[in-house]
Amino acid sequence: MTSATAFPVAKSRTRAGDALTKAVIYIALAMMLVYLLLPVYWMIKSSFQSNFEIQRIPPLWLPADPTLKPYENAGLLIPMWRYIYNSLFVSAMTAFIASGISCTAAYVLARFRFPGATLILALILITQLVPPITRVFPVYFLIQSFGMLNTYSGLIFAYVGFSVPFAVLLLRGYFQTSCPPELEEAALMDGCTYFSAFWRVILPVSLPGIAAVTIFTFLNAWNDFLWASLLLSSGEMKTIQVGIGEFSTEGGSTEYQNAFMAACVVSTLPALILFFFVQRWLVGGLTAGAVKA
Amino acid sequence: MNEKNIFCYIMVAPALIITMLLGIYPMFASMFISFRTYDLLNVQERGSHWVGLRNYYTVFADERFVQTVIQTILFTVLAVGISVAMGLFLAQIINARFRGLAVLRTLILVPWFVPPAIASVIWIWLLNTDLSPINSLLRDMGWTTRNIRFLTDSSTWGPISIPMLAIVAVRVWNGLPFIIIFLLAGLQSVPKDYYEAAEIDGANIVQKFIHVTLPMLKPVLLILLALLFMGGIGHFEMNFIMTGGGPRNLTNVMAVYAYNQGFLFFKFDQAAAASGVILMMSSVICVFYMWAQSRDNLR
Repeated sequence: MTSATAFPVAKSRTRAGDALTKAVIYIALAMMLVYLLLPVYWMIKSSFQSNFEIQRIPPLWLPADPTLKPYENAGLLIPMWRYIYNSLFVSAMTAFIASGISCTAAYVLARFRFPGATLILALILITQLVPPITRVFPVYFLIQSFGMLNTYSGLIFAYVGFSVPFAVLLLRGYFQTSCPPELEEAALMDGCTYFSAFWRVILPVSLPGIAAVTIFTFLNAWNDFLWASLLLSSGEMKTIQVGIGEFSTEGGSTEYQNAFMAACVVSTLPALILFFFVQRWLVGGLTAGAVKA
Repeated sequence: MNEKNIFCYIMVAPALIITMLLGIYPMFASMFISFRTYDLLNVQERGSHWVGLRNYYTVFADERFVQTVIQTILFTVLAVGISVAMGLFLAQIINARFRGLAVLRTLILVPWFVPPAIASVIWIWLLNTDLSPINSLLRDMGWTTRNIRFLTDSSTWGPISIPMLAIVAVRVWNGLPFIIIFLLAGLQSVPKDYYEAAEIDGANIVQKFIHVTLPMLKPVLLILLALLFMGGIGHFEMNFIMTGGGPRNLTNVMAVYAYNQGFLFFKFDQAAAASGVILMMSSVICVFYMWAQSRDNLR
């Protein structure tokens, strides 16, 4: 039997038709790959070209005279390293605080029935469904009234608020599917309190799931533009997304496009590295069982 | 109250408080503002008072807002339609087993690594009228004689324009990997016997897709479509960074309109009304989704 590959060459009466379909599929796939990869290639290519070369018409598909100069100049164009530091700091703090707050809530929402649990879940779900722009203005005024505009803590506070519902939903699913209830039943039997059962038994075995959620939260905060552009918009405090986005909207000229693209390459790297290391673990952490031994 | 409940409330309290403060409260506060006057420039002397639906009348009397609503719907339908179609196709390919799969999968997921703001600026550069490789390619092949002005051409076909299609292309590009992963999870739950049975009956690739894959994917597709439509109605970043809504308002969407009304013109009342419209439209999608799901369950 052919395994259930998506497009097996069927042993059917329509062999010629299938061959044609296959050809169409290959062509479509090739075109889509060009579409998906060209922008990234173009960014990388441009970042290795000189000021002069990048302005040539028609554009060159390969750098004729590759140079690292744009990478030296990128820092002069925008304070890239400072922006990346801002982003890393804000995203990391958000990820740790949000997953800490979420895992306690997700645990009790997954395991216990208590008055109000359904209502709490519904509230959390609603905030997830509504686009962020619908609460931009009150959140802005709220952060302003706390005196936290243009501070790291203001943005972190906002990010934690937006990440928690998402993280609770993910972690609740994780506790339900991959963390057997026998674990804390045994602990409670042995005389643990509810909290120490959670702290000493559940938490350690759930680390893969919690780590995956932490990384998701980090990447969400890292990718954000809207909130960072509102809440942390002055001078040196900008996150890298805002720094790059605003440089472009304020009319960065094509003259320095090579250095600008170099800045883009560098700012894509942190998330890329993170993705690379955790790709398999990320999917595994959310799907695999907690106790294998 | 017993010990277990106290424990539960303590554990859930931080998450609940922060969700109320930054999720639920702002939603209602925004609706509240939308029924009052709130012009930041004269709120000090004139104050803020109740005006009922007047802000909604005001925004809908603005031709540009009506245009923006239509464009938002078009943007969403185009972006969701194209990306789900492409996602279905690519998810099936990744779901197959063949040599080089790991490489292909990584390549297809590449746009995922690129944050939306950076995606926007690299596409701006890629679509630069004079220096775009796409224009140079089209000219080499003799398909065009003049450079296409991807982000600034203001000629239109009905409500559709070149800049709109360009931004749709970018939104699809950045959102596609998530859709593929989402659909892949659904595809992997389709029992293999179904395909084998269809093969024995002599079904070809297209028939297998229509009669086996699509019906089995329906629940996953339904959730995905609901999520994408709700997100698409409120989409902000790419339109804001790439064109700011121009040229001639042709790529403006409701989120950018609301943002500009608020933070550019300080008319927070009209901004809140515009975002109230977004809220209503996403609620409609949400209700529609729940209706579709319950109808499915009843059957």
